[in-house]
Amino acid sequence: MNRSLTGATVQIDFQSPTLNDEEIDYLRSKLREDYDLIVRGVELGEDSASPPIAAAPTTHTISQTTDAVATRDGEPSRIVPCTIRSGQTEEFPQGSLIIYGDVNSGGEVRAGGDIVVLGTLRGNAYAGTNGRLSAVIIAMDFAPLQLQIGNCVNRSSTNQKPPGYPEIARIGPEDVIIIEKFVKF
Amino acid sequence: MGKVIVVTSGKGGVGKTTSTANLGTALALLGKSVVLVDADVGLRNLDIVMGLESRVVYTSMDVIEKQCELNKALVRDRRVDGLMLLAASQKNNKDDMQPEQMKAICDKLRTTYDFTLVDSPAGIERGFRNASAGADEAIVVTTPDVSAIRDADRIIGLLQNVEIEPINLVINRFSPQLVGNGSMMDQADVLDILNIDLIGVVPEDSGVITSTNRGIPLVYEDGSPGAQAYMRIARRLTGQRIPIPDLEQKGLFSSIVNWFTKNR
Ligand SMILES: Nc1ncnc2c1ncn2[C@@H]1O[C@H](COP(=O)(O)OP(=O)(O)O)[C@@H](O)[C@H]1O
Ligand SMILES: [Mg+2]
Repeated sequence: MNRSLTGATVQIDFQSPTLNDEEIDYLRSKLREDYDLIVRGVELGEDSASPPIAAAPTTHTISQTTDAVATRDGEPSRIVPCTIRSGQTEEFPQGSLIIYGDVNSGGEVRAGGDIVVLGTLRGNAYAGTNGRLSAVIIAMDFAPLQLQIGNCVNRSSTNQKPPGYPEIARIGPEDVIIIEKFVKF
Repeated sequence: MGKVIVVTSGKGGVGKTTSTANLGTALALLGKSVVLVDADVGLRNLDIVMGLESRVVYTSMDVIEKQCELNKALVRDRRVDGLMLLAASQKNNKDDMQPEQMKAICDKLRTTYDFTLVDSPAGIERGFRNASAGADEAIVVTTPDVSAIRDADRIIGLLQNVEIEPINLVINRFSPQLVGNGSMMDQADVLDILNIDLIGVVPEDSGVITSTNRGIPLVYEDGSPGAQAYMRIARRLTGQRIPIPDLEQKGLFSSIVNWFTKNR
């Protein structure tokens, strides 16, 4: 995945949707084994006001977002633990955005640095909002309505189904956005 | 203590009123006490779909303006025990009602009825806010087309912002034939985008139109596919576990796991 994150320490702050202990452990070990990411802490939502029903498994809620400590060029990253839905915007001019979910049609993500969508990108993504032309947009399934990197814009021409592998968008020669299979950073 | 469930969609004409009428009737047929609240102030039509149009004397606006007691404004459906309707005012508009006033009505109904189903108007403005103000849970109705789904997605975001939980999805006007020949999105596609729990799929059924015109909810004719779908959803609302065929429910967690396994 994103080389910039390898070996970094990341804090994920969970609120909604709910994850149970087992699921959190699974994510923790996956992130460590596959990406060398160390989950420093998992912050649980304050559920104390409404105690869980006796039989229900323990669940934790995910709070909006948290800024991870390290990434490319010393900039912070923001981890968003949920899908960005139609009408919602997530903006992070200070660095990169990592979305644990989808960006749906009608939703928008904007980052000063890179955008990584660990789901399907169906909406609008704008990377390098501060004019950084080396910014990239990566999604597991790539079906965006509109991409923008720096001041290069790319509108989807057709309603193509994503190819089934991750793709990356970056500015290529002649200042046009090219989209290709994502192999490594 | 009962539950207040808002039936909503964002887009108009996708089947909110049809679903409210049929689910309410179905729940009453299952022995629950139910009140249907029309929150479409100024464009009411739940009373027509329920065939109770001629019996509406008072509306929620009269209750709010203290012209009459809440109980007196409820119209009893004589075809089944325990089913009531609170009509919307036709002469007012949505801005004449405040979300807190609707919430106060729902709070009262919750103490008496097992289910209060609130039929929301289309849109994301005041009408929607009024309809959802007193809700504990939501049913989002969509048809399997991109514009209805985008509006449903918007509504889900708004419902999540005010922490209405659970939000269950009804896919209405589903046509297996159209899915078969590739011209309609299938269940998995819809769920992949909306990522909430599916509570039922209602097929396209011409019986809906005739039943609407006659003011007799479809669920009274138990043979039809639409009626059966609504009965199943009502059972699920009462907590019965009835599997939805051909369904792979996807939550955030399973999507992440799927992605990891797919990309090993
Ligand atoms: N499953 C269905 N099959 C066929 N027609 C339907 C179905 N559901 C709704 N309709 C029709 O669609 C129209 C809009 O339905 P309605 O419930 O009034 O939508 P809404 O309240 O969301 O505006 C009505 O004419 C209704 O008869
Ligand atoms: Mg309606």
